[in-house]
Amino acid sequence: MNAANQMDKKLLVFLGLLGLSFLLLIIASFIPLSAPTDVFKLILLAVAVAANVLAFSSRYYIYLILPLFEQRRKNIVINDQSPYWLSSTSDAILQKEGDDFIATVYINIPLYRSATEMSDEDKLNFAQQVSRLVGISKEPTRFTTQLYVMNKDSYIQKLRDTITLVEEEEAKLVTGNAPQSEIERVRGKASMWRKMLDNVGKGSSLELSSFASLSARGGKEFEAISLAQQKAREMMSGIGATFGVSPNVVLGNELLKFVEPEYLIPFSTISEQITKNIQEEVI
Amino acid sequence: MDEEGVMYLVFALLMPLIGFTILQSFGKGGFGIVAAALLIIDVVLVMMMNWADFILFPIITNLLGITFQPASGYKIIKGQDAIVKEINGLFYATGFVTGNLFGYSFKQETAPEDEIGKMIMAPDTWERGIMNIDFPFKFHVVAAGLDSQKVRDEFEGKRSYQEFQLSRALQSGGNEVTITDIQRKINIIQTKIDRLSQGERPLASVMYFETTAIGVSEKAALDSLTSQIKSLQISMSSMDIDLARVQGRELYTLFKFNFGLPTSFEEMALYFDQQG
Repeated sequence: MNAANQMDKKLLVFLGLLGLSFLLLIIASFIPLSAPTDVFKLILLAVAVAANVLAFSSRYYIYLILPLFEQRRKNIVINDQSPYWLSSTSDAILQKEGDDFIATVYINIPLYRSATEMSDEDKLNFAQQVSRLVGISKEPTRFTTQLYVMNKDSYIQKLRDTITLVEEEEAKLVTGNAPQSEIERVRGKASMWRKMLDNVGKGSSLELSSFASLSARGGKEFEAISLAQQKAREMMSGIGATFGVSPNVVLGNELLKFVEPEYLIPFSTISEQITKNIQEEVI
Repeated sequence: MDEEGVMYLVFALLMPLIGFTILQSFGKGGFGIVAAALLIIDVVLVMMMNWADFILFPIITNLLGITFQPASGYKIIKGQDAIVKEINGLFYATGFVTGNLFGYSFKQETAPEDEIGKMIMAPDTWERGIMNIDFPFKFHVVAAGLDSQKVRDEFEGKRSYQEFQLSRALQSGGNEVTITDIQRKINIIQTKIDRLSQGERPLASVMYFETTAIGVSEKAALDSLTSQIKSLQISMSSMDIDLARVQGRELYTLFKFNFGLPTSFEEMALYFDQQG
């Protein structure tokens, strides 16, 4: 649904509810005054008031009012589809809005500078560069700095595999009556890897990265993607000229790091911490 | 408020206005009083929806226990201040906090030296702020460049109006406070016009923080999110910005921004009329 269609729908709902409100008010005022009808008149007025407030609320809450009327339950489903999908070219995420496709491209900005190593002049330049960066594009663009938990899942898995291998080696040596010194050496190795796993799992390491994202609308998937890519290229040259770095379009699964909450806090990496928190809560 | 907002407000207030004019048709005494009370409630609710919908709307959803599913796998909780996603028995709660950095510097009439001082301090203040944060968060700036000439014309119009007000106040011997206030407003507008003349591009921007917490239950994740947001508000307080937790419809809008942004300034303005 494009902005114009959404606007039409919004106006239609507003006028419909407002019309209902006026109609009920007029009906209520025309009903003659008598003991049994007075209560009915007030009920009509109350419904007219509710319709009027809903009509006004439809300006901002049209996305809720329609599903609320249709579903009439406590858990209202606004959308039961996945919010996006990865493009076949793996360089954008896509979503469908009515007849249009919206492609969003993420650009990684490799900035590794710290204020601690800057002089006052550098700091001023840097702040001015950031101000310039934000004003590069006429199109709405989102600039983000993200602090997230480093994904150590594969490293942790590698450590676990290594420990299993060392334990198997130890078992073989024990059953094969190998010399004690050899068994002790393997046990030492296993202990070292276990300690390593403990240390890695204990605390989470954090990473900071910056990126820009922008969207483009198109009638076809490829049209939206190519428009978004074109905008991204313009943006990248602007970023490059401002900071003197080489930004790049984020591809494939790397995109998920900027979109999905579970990629901000990878499960295996954080599982040790969750266990610790539960233990603390129990104590 | 834009023209559309004024139109909605005028039409919505027409109904209670007509209601008051035909109030006698609801009878005298108790029934008439109840009818008048209903019409007053109507006006109050419309006004609240216009200026404080972010307070009223969560109250209604909280009372009725209404939750929303904005997309498959996601849930906006009844308090309208967090979005929860469940994956393999683990709950990820995401919340948003406003953090408008630029609004702060635009409103004042500081000397250029103060501004330079602030810009020098900015990288340090930012690093000090995030140094103590040990949970994931994002700081977003959604910006769109505006037409310089259009904005300049708008400012010049505002300046002329203020100058007219000033001359009227001076002629009628207005009090010192009023004159100083008008002069201050003129100075602010002039500073903005000067900035535009120096080549600065006017921007429409929305800035906010986003943080995600994890928990083995929805409640644990939400509790953790609340503590993270408080910690974020404390850590970033040195930046002297308003750090309010986002509630209501803006939460849904900011959630949608994670998957697709508005493609034009007009579309962006539709979402953020209130913050504009």
